[in-house]
Parts: sequence; structure tokens; C-alpha cells
Amino acid sequence: MTLKPTVIVIEDEKNIAEFIAASLSAHGYKVLTAASGQKGLSLITSGLPDIILLDLGLPDIDGIEIIHQVRKWNQLPIIVISARTQEQEKVLALDSGADDYITKPFGTPELLARIRTAMRHSQHSGSNVLSALEPMYLSDGLKIDFLRRLVTLKGEEVHLTQIEYKLVSLLAKHSGRVLTYDYIINHIWGPYADNNNNQILRVNMAHIRRKLEANPGEPHYIFTEIGVGYRMKENQQEMDGKE
Amino acid sequence: MNKPSSFFIDHPPSKSPMPKKTLWLNILFTTAILAVATLLAYLFFYLGKNTTSVAIIYILAVVFISRYTAGYIPGIISSFIGVICVNYIFTYPFMKFNFTIDGYPVTFTGMIIIASIISTMTSHLKLQSRIIHEREKLLMEAEKETMRANLLRAISHDLRTPLTGIIGTSSAYLENQETLSEKEKTAFVQNIYEDSNWLLNMVENLLTITRIRASNTALHKTSELLEEVVAEAVQRLRKRLPHADIQVHIPEDFILIPMDAMLIEQVLINLMENAYYHGNANQPIILNIFPRNHQIYFEILDFGEGIPEEKLPFIFDGNPSTPNQSGDSRKGMGIGLTICRTIILAHKGEIHAENHEHGAKLSFCLPLREDEEHDA
Repeated sequence: MTLKPTVIVIEDEKNIAEFIAASLSAHGYKVLTAASGQKGLSLITSGLPDIILLDLGLPDIDGIEIIHQVRKWNQLPIIVISARTQEQEKVLALDSGADDYITKPFGTPELLARIRTAMRHSQHSGSNVLSALEPMYLSDGLKIDFLRRLVTLKGEEVHLTQIEYKLVSLLAKHSGRVLTYDYIINHIWGPYADNNNNQILRVNMAHIRRKLEANPGEPHYIFTEIGVGYRMKENQQEMDGKE
Repeated sequence: MNKPSSFFIDHPPSKSPMPKKTLWLNILFTTAILAVATLLAYLFFYLGKNTTSVAIIYILAVVFISRYTAGYIPGIISSFIGVICVNYIFTYPFMKFNFTIDGYPVTFTGMIIIASIISTMTSHLKLQSRIIHEREKLLMEAEKETMRANLLRAISHDLRTPLTGIIGTSSAYLENQETLSEKEKTAFVQNIYEDSNWLLNMVENLLTITRIRASNTALHKTSELLEEVVAEAVQRLRKRLPHADIQVHIPEDFILIPMDAMLIEQVLINLMENAYYHGNANQPIILNIFPRNHQIYFEILDFGEGIPEEKLPFIFDGNPSTPNQSGDSRKGMGIGLTICRTIILAHKGEIHAENHEHGAKLSFCLPLREDEEHDA
């Protein structure tokens, strides 16, 4: 890749914006920063970035509003930067169309991983694509063959129920990205499911964990983000192909 | 436009009705009690032909009235009415006033005096209990204030230690950039990184306190899956302390516990971090979780020197009373353990610290079910 991918960072804290810019430039990204929402929006329309990093607590515009604005005309990947206590906002941002979020404070490796994941998913355009291009999820001995609907763990087949398989494959197709409870419930149980009651989802996830994880208290493949949703470990097959 | 006008219409009347309402209530209550008393007296009088019991019933009525109405006036008025009633209805000549009958003036004046005394006494008592109540409230406020001040002092102390480190190290770095070797530079930045990470946990602890304070100890509890909470806590700790070796033993069952997940995570992180700093680096920290007697128990074991016996009783009380310990406050966890206790108590659980054979053991338990809450 000769052309540097462009990242727009919308963050009003100068120090944070600077450190993000410095570490991303060092890893081969072209970084543009905006200290306000207005400036950020005009930068997005003029600069057409590959990815947007967006702080939710901006002085002028609500970060959610920026997501709505951008989503009107573009599917650019957006990663939200938020504080730990803002679960509600995180969920709102994700359900408004943000691709992922990262919790302050974060380190460079984490940020880079999120950006890579978000960009890869956007390159496949749309959300439900992986199966055609890469009909396989592979990570540390866990293999999901989407064509044959087969899940194996260290070579041994894992018996999942229909719903469990749907859940695992949904998470695997979006591996590395957080999926909100609502998103998952809508995709597995349909739009008329009771979104306020995620108990059924959690029960199923608990069952899956018992089948896939050696120790449910220390999961290796599927991580919980309490109050937000679930995130599956990055697909290694893709990472290897890329790097 | 609508709101202010309605505000102005509503407000002036709403100011005077307050006393008016109590006045009406007083009148209503007084009348009701007197009516009941008259009825009772009437019954007694015609059944027992006894004037003394009539007087006693009226005195009782006066006691009730002065106890449950505001001010002296209802009591005194009702004592007058009582006297008049006794004279008018229950003494010969019936339905006529006659204050001249032998001995009766004494009864009547006696009754009026007793009634007045009782009514003034009860209102006085009411006033006094109100004063006591207010004084208690003030005392409690003052106690809260001192608690807050102590907490703030502990916090600023705990914040200053890592901040001093960060400022000192970074200024040393900036001033000596040319002369420092690469290795020293890395060590400096590493120190800054560690100190600020520690500071971050401190701040999250503080956030935790505000979360408890803001909601007035009524926690926002939801049913959380045990393994998810534990997993996230372990994950967050590993992110901060990549070298920490933690072994988690968690039951296979599907266990839901009512809790504020963020707070319990903070407790787990605090206790594991504590174990990390105090334990033996070569041996893992063990986190045991098991249910017993409608409680879920969490045990965090480290393999270090253990907690000095003399400190055990005060370990959750905040900063150690020995000032020479302050230099080591990072490892002392400062208010971290106090916060743990606050959180666990707010969850109606228990927290304990003890030593096992090869180190320290901190444990807490949470109720599996919350009976007074209807769970969705």
C-alpha cells in the first residue's frame, strides 16, 4: 500500500489529539485533527478520510449528531472515543451507526487494532459480507467454517444449537468489533423480539462460553463489554493475510 | 408562555392555604374528637349515671386534641368546650348553664386547669422533640462533613504521591534529555506510565464513590451474569498490569447476581491489584468464586508476606494511622479498601481480610437474591 490511509481525529482535548496523531503518524497514517464538531464535519466533507475517530464530548455539537450527519451520506467507519462511565452514550452511538468504540484511556496498540478492524470491515462494504470472501474464521484453534456451518475447537467439532451457531457466526463475521445487545437480538431473533430483555441472549452466550472457553471466567474468544454488548476475538486468518 | 402565567396564578394562593389547611384540619380534628367524647360521655352518663367519668372522658379528649393538633389553641379551646358541655349537658339542670351548684365550680375550674396544663405540656413536648430532631439532623450533617473532609484529605494524599512521581520524572527527563541514556529514558517514561495508570485507578475509585453518593446508597442494581463481570474485571486488570498472573476459579453454573457491575468490578480490581503489589511475583494470584448459603463468595489469595496482625482490624478504615507508612502509600492502596467495603456494604454483603498459610486472603460475599426488589 503506497497511499497512506487518512484518519480524521475529532477531539477537543489538545493533548489527547496530539498523542493520537503522533502515534498514528508513526504507524503510517495521515492524520487530520479537528478540535470542534463543526470543524470536524467540514474536514470530513472536504478531506474524505478512510476512518473517523470521534470524541463524544465535544464543546459545540453532540457527537451522536455528527454520526447522524455523516451516516446521511456515507458509510465511513467511525470509531467513538468515550469515557468508561458513559455506557448509555456508547450504546446510543453504536446504534446510531458508529462502528466501534474505544474507552479512555487507551494505549496505541489497542487503538491501532480497532482502526484496522473497522477499516477492514468497511472495505468489505456493508456488514454481512465476510462469508463470500473469506468463508472461515480462525483464531487460536477455534475455526468456524461458514459454508459448512461447522465449528471446530482444536480440531474437534463443537456441537452448537441453531441459535448458538447463529450467534457465534454473527460475532465471528464482525470479529474484533463490539456488537450491541440490540444489534445481536435484532439479527438473531428478529425485529419483534423484546429488546429490553436481553436475558435470553445472555443465557445463550453463557452456553456458548461453556462450549468454547476453557474457563468461562477468563474467556479467550468472546469478550463481554458489560452494559454494551459482545466482542469476538480478531480473525487471525485475515490479519495474517494482511500484514 | 403558558408556564409562567399559570405559575403566577397558582403561587399567591398556594402560599396562604398552607396554614389555612392546617387550621381547617385542626378544627375538623377537634370537632371530631369532641363529638366522639360527647357521644361516649353520653353513653357513660346514661349507663352509669357518673359525672366523674364524663369529666375524665373530656380530659382524655383534650389530651388527644393537643397531641395531634398544631399549637396550644385547639387544646385550650376544647377544654373550655368540654367544661361547658359538662355543665350544659351532663349536670343538673340539664341543657342549662348553672355554675352555682355546690362543689361544681371546683370540678370545673379543676378540669379547666388540668386540660390547659395537659395541652400546654403536650405542645411543649412536641416542640422539644422537634428541636431534638433538628439538632440530631445538624449533628449528622456535621458528621457527614467531617467524613467528607477526611475522605478528601486521604484522596489528595493518595493523588499527590503518584503526581509527584510523574511531575518529578517528566521534568527530570525534559531537563536532562541530552545526558540521559536511552535505557534511562525508557525507564523514566515507564515510571510515568505506571504512576499515571495507578492514578487512573484512583480516579475510577473516586468516580465509584460519587456513584454511590449521588444515588444516596440506593444502588442501581441489575441482574448480572457472574462470569461476565469477573471476566471483564480480570481483563481490565490485565490491560493495566500485563505481568499479573491471575488464576480464576469460577463455578460452572449460570449465576445471576443483582449488583451494580461497575462497582463490583472496581472491588475485584482493587483487591486483585492489592494482591499483585503485596504478593510474591513468582506465584499467581488466586481468585476463587463459589456459592454457599444463598451467598456468592469471592476470595482473593496472594502468596506474599500477609497482612501484619496489628493492622488487620483497621485495614478497611482508610489511611493507616501510622504516618511513616505514607511513603509507601501506593502499595498501601490508601482508600481503595475503604471503597471496597463501602461498595460491598451497599450491596448488603460482607468483606473480610485475614491471613492464610502463605499470604493474605481477602474475601467478600454478595447475596444471591434480593428479596425486597422485584427483579425483571
